Amino acid sequence: MRDRNRDELISVGIDIGTTTTQVIISKLTLENLAGRFSVPRVQITQKEILYRSAIHFTPLIEHHLIDAPAVAALLSAEYSKAGFTTGEIDTGAVIITGETAKKENAKAVISQLAGFAGDFVVATAGPKLEAIMAGKGSGAQAYSVKHKKTVINIDVGGGTSNYVVFNNGKVVDTACINVGGHLVELEPLGSRVAYVAPAARKVMRECGLTIEPGQTAAYADLKKITDKMAEAVVAVFAGTPGQGMAGELMMTEDLRRDYILDTVMVSGGVADFVYDQEARALSMEEVSRYGDIGPLLGVSLHKAVLESGLFVARPEETIRATVIGAGSQSLEVSGSTISVVEDLLPLTNIPVVKPFAGLAPADPAKVKTLVERSLEISGFEDTSVALAIAGPADMSFNSLQSLARGLTAGLTREIERGRLIIIVLEQDCAKALGQSIKHLIPGNRSIVCVDQVLVEDGDYIDIGKPIIGGRVVPIIVKTLVFNRPDND
Amino acid sequence: MILKGKVYGTAYTFNSVRDVLAKASEDKSGDRLAGISAVTAAERVAAKLVLSELTLEDIYNNPVIPYEKDEVTRVIYDGINTTVYRKYKNMTVGALRETILDHETTGNDLANISRGLTSEIIAAVTKLMSTLDLIVAAQKMRYQAHCNTTIGLPGTLAFRCQPNHPTDNPQGILASIKEGLSYGSGDAVIGVNPVEDNIESYTRVIEVVSEFIDRWQIPTQNCVLAHVTTQIAALEKGAPVHLVFQSLAGTQKANEAFGFTVKTLDDAYELALRQGAASGPNVMYFETGQGSEVSLECHEGVDQQTLESRCYGLARRYKPFMINNVSGFIGPETLYTGKELTRATMEDLVMAKLHALPMGVAQCYTNHMKADQNDQEVANTLSALAGANFFMGIPGGDDVMLSYQDTSFHDNATLREILNLRPCPEFESWLEKMGIMENGRLTKRAGDLSIFND
Amino acid sequence: MATEENLESMIVQNVLKELAKNGFLQNVKTASVPQVSETPTHRSIVNDADEYIELPPISEILIHEPIHKETVAALKAMTPARIGVGRAGPRYRTTTLLHYLADHSQAQDAVFLDVSDEFLQRMGIFEVQTQVSDREEHLTRPDLGCRLSREAREKISVNCKKNVQVQVFVADGLSSKAIESNVAELLPALIQGLQGEGITDIGTPFFVKYGRVRVEDEIGILLNAEVVVELVGERPGLGTANSLSAYIIYKPTEKTVEADRTVVSNIHMGGTPPVEAGAFLAGLIKDILKAKTSGIKLTTG
Repeated sequence: MRDRNRDELISVGIDIGTTTTQVIISKLTLENLAGRFSVPRVQITQKEILYRSAIHFTPLIEHHLIDAPAVAALLSAEYSKAGFTTGEIDTGAVIITGETAKKENAKAVISQLAGFAGDFVVATAGPKLEAIMAGKGSGAQAYSVKHKKTVINIDVGGGTSNYVVFNNGKVVDTACINVGGHLVELEPLGSRVAYVAPAARKVMRECGLTIEPGQTAAYADLKKITDKMAEAVVAVFAGTPGQGMAGELMMTEDLRRDYILDTVMVSGGVADFVYDQEARALSMEEVSRYGDIGPLLGVSLHKAVLESGLFVARPEETIRATVIGAGSQSLEVSGSTISVVEDLLPLTNIPVVKPFAGLAPADPAKVKTLVERSLEISGFEDTSVALAIAGPADMSFNSLQSLARGLTAGLTREIERGRLIIIVLEQDCAKALGQSIKHLIPGNRSIVCVDQVLVEDGDYIDIGKPIIGGRVVPIIVKTLVFNRPDND
Repeated sequence: MILKGKVYGTAYTFNSVRDVLAKASEDKSGDRLAGISAVTAAERVAAKLVLSELTLEDIYNNPVIPYEKDEVTRVIYDGINTTVYRKYKNMTVGALRETILDHETTGNDLANISRGLTSEIIAAVTKLMSTLDLIVAAQKMRYQAHCNTTIGLPGTLAFRCQPNHPTDNPQGILASIKEGLSYGSGDAVIGVNPVEDNIESYTRVIEVVSEFIDRWQIPTQNCVLAHVTTQIAALEKGAPVHLVFQSLAGTQKANEAFGFTVKTLDDAYELALRQGAASGPNVMYFETGQGSEVSLECHEGVDQQTLESRCYGLARRYKPFMINNVSGFIGPETLYTGKELTRATMEDLVMAKLHALPMGVAQCYTNHMKADQNDQEVANTLSALAGANFFMGIPGGDDVMLSYQDTSFHDNATLREILNLRPCPEFESWLEKMGIMENGRLTKRAGDLSIFND
Repeated sequence: MATEENLESMIVQNVLKELAKNGFLQNVKTASVPQVSETPTHRSIVNDADEYIELPPISEILIHEPIHKETVAALKAMTPARIGVGRAGPRYRTTTLLHYLADHSQAQDAVFLDVSDEFLQRMGIFEVQTQVSDREEHLTRPDLGCRLSREAREKISVNCKKNVQVQVFVADGLSSKAIESNVAELLPALIQGLQGEGITDIGTPFFVKYGRVRVEDEIGILLNAEVVVELVGERPGLGTANSLSAYIIYKPTEKTVEADRTVVSNIHMGGTPPVEAGAFLAGLIKDILKAKTSGIKLTTG
């Protein structure tokens, strides 16, 4: 039997970005902190990175397809270098980021990879999630807790820059702009332009420049372009929202800006050029050494963020921020008194539907109506869904019974069709609610009821097999958005 | 040796020295629970009367638990200076009381006498003392000790900052440390009671405290009050430990119920000296408390005050840096009212000092006792007046982990002010550097924990 | 601070006087800072309105002008300890003192008051008493609180089924409040949970006044129950006066020791909610019945 009070999970993070692909393997320690005389309370107490891969160029076929066999081979080589086999990986996340997420075969590749990477490794994408993972991996979240500040982390990648705002550890806002170091590709150590992404064309147009692939570019012209890009990146949080270049390149809603920022942190591949004065890009050779304008964008950003007026903090991780976020920050644990049937787990990619705005109504009839309506609106016909519920009207036995009655009535059709009953609660009452539902539909073995997890309508959730003596389940909450509109 | 006494015509017979000691004790619920206390007020006085005429030798020859049977008795007897003992053995307990109180008798004299006294003799003489007697005696005796800093200097009053947290959350512990320091509390030790008693928890907490002390360069000691065996194991793994802690009881049986023997303490002491992170030479910290033996049903028919004194006899072997009672922590079955609590506290303070120990007091009470804040403050003021080396310091007096009340950071600051006492000198300089204290007074800034903004 | 204010008012007065001298202040005859009125103003009683004097929330920062207010708030959020409370001279602010007294009052009332008859009637459970005769004896003689009175033994024998799988009972222990605020939610969840696990042979619950933990041994022996569950009020802390514990034992005997008991503590709305605790206990009891042991042997065995 595994230790009932302590468990270790090996977690992988795989980031397939516009320019680079990376792998990290970390060890998560989970402990029951509640002591012998209390109801258990399991938390992740330690995260240790065991292995960091080299930084590889993302294998692409032409510019529009991910070279799946090459990515798989890369992953396989990294696993053996790290000394792990797929079977030894307990959990983790593959995240496909930036421009790569727009590739035609992105969804297929990432799902395959997740399976290949390990049993409970999830596939994720989407600018929101990418931003959050980068901000966790860069140390911005921890910084905001430690210094009690509102911190914006900008992860500047090859194709996009992702913003996340943390207030005292909590995510309060995210956004994404189509600016990155790989939007203009250059012949390494030369000055010939190899590729110009659509977003870069817009910037060029704004600068009154036209540079086509095959032409040579002047340092001064490229600097003009990166200065404009940097200006747009900073304008998103320090300028007038929706205006100018920034407005044109936004890939998401603007930041809400209903908070006061104290600190800015930049992560991602170009961040080294933002912070490290040694890593200057003063000549064309220095600029094009990685085959793109990334170094120069870093230089431009250095000046732009300093001029933003915010305190500029140094990240703990730069180019590896997202992969570390994915590998060691994506997993959370459920509350420690839950109601699950082990054989049903793991469950992956379960869409979340939130039937009530606040706590559940006290009236079972109302619960039934709202559940039915929300299921109808969400339109998930061919899959089980997870109902996200803050809690019963109050924490009394009677309210729980009412909620259980309303839920079973509202889920009648789902139950008849053999779907699972998956309930994700915020408040600590999953065991009691699970039992109450079971009491109403005796013999039903398809109930998964977990608590102390925050999810929103439109999220997807993965629920792993129980750990630590069956007390808790690992949970990954994600937002899967693949088909986002191209900004061209 | 006469064990019979008469008070206003009524005769009382006692069957042993142990019986006399028990019945001569002030009324406390623990002795009633054990069924060994005097039944009437007159019987109590009769016992005191008989006790006053016993010689020190009578008590020496009749240890409350036999030497062969109990290792605490052995530690006490083996530690006695026989020359000093022989000098005083024919004195009666009543005469010893007067010697202690005599204007001619100084603290140095008492330090010398104490080397010849068994713990039972010390308990006996304090049973003949009223509260003011106890204060007069206590004021004469002041014992210093040195770990990283010096505790017990004349004119000083130190505090243990006790930043307990219900889940050992490091940030939560640090928050309370910051609050305590901002009131000048924490010169005795920053001492955390961990929730979980295992090496991982212990190490995690001691590292948090130790790092904080290093970062802010605080002249003090660290301690995490886990079981002594946990601390030994952590020390062996290289944890940065200043003080090694253990709760003591007055019988071998009760200590075994606590999970240790004299050998365990010997090992811990040796290891702390050899591998601890402190300068020393005093590296041990003990807590005791009247009634723990009754609670554990290991009292062997001995009253709780005498057993408490035996704890000090055991502690003396390890030259501790600090020791304090937590008599109010055990519960109403041992001390029921505020009055019982006050009395026990004053006895404990004097008994420890008569063992030449650097004694402090945890003036505490639980919510199921018939006691309140006012009782606590009165007793606390008295023990400060009597010259305790230190008290506890707890945010708002409310220990949110152990669920009892003890003296607060505010009480700490108040006692220093009203009695004109200062922190340990190194610590006071640090407080001045931090802008918390000026000329022995709290500054305007004091009490603002956000000065530790890291 | 007082001196600063005095200084300030002195300066203001002098300036006003200067201005007046120079004719700048036509309307000011004798410039002065307003004085406290010497005649007491009468404040009428307005008790008919739905307005009460209440304690401010404990999260309030009482430090006078902290350097970093947000730091204080963040630190306060890290611990339930009474920090960031400020001071009046070396003493507590009035609010802090009143909070302390209010919390102690809750704790004292939890310890010293009885579980109400009304509550027992509502729950429909009968009451028996240990050998303790009053509250003081209950607190100072824990040994008596572990033994049933003769009347209690008779009443239990008459009213309860013997040889059941699970016998649940309630004892006041050290907090009557813990009983009144948790049992009504916990008990039905526990019974529903047990039934869900297929455990239906459950004895009639009852209440033991002046009961301690160890009284469950005598009850278990008396009824020859396989598992005994005692829901007992915990010793109150200042913050929580209504925390409940469950002590579960498998086939107790006279030789039962503390390590034989499985304990679940901290059951209250601020800890494990009673309804969730009831559900949790049901699973635990199932494990105990299966393992045919409880306490340390259950966790290590």
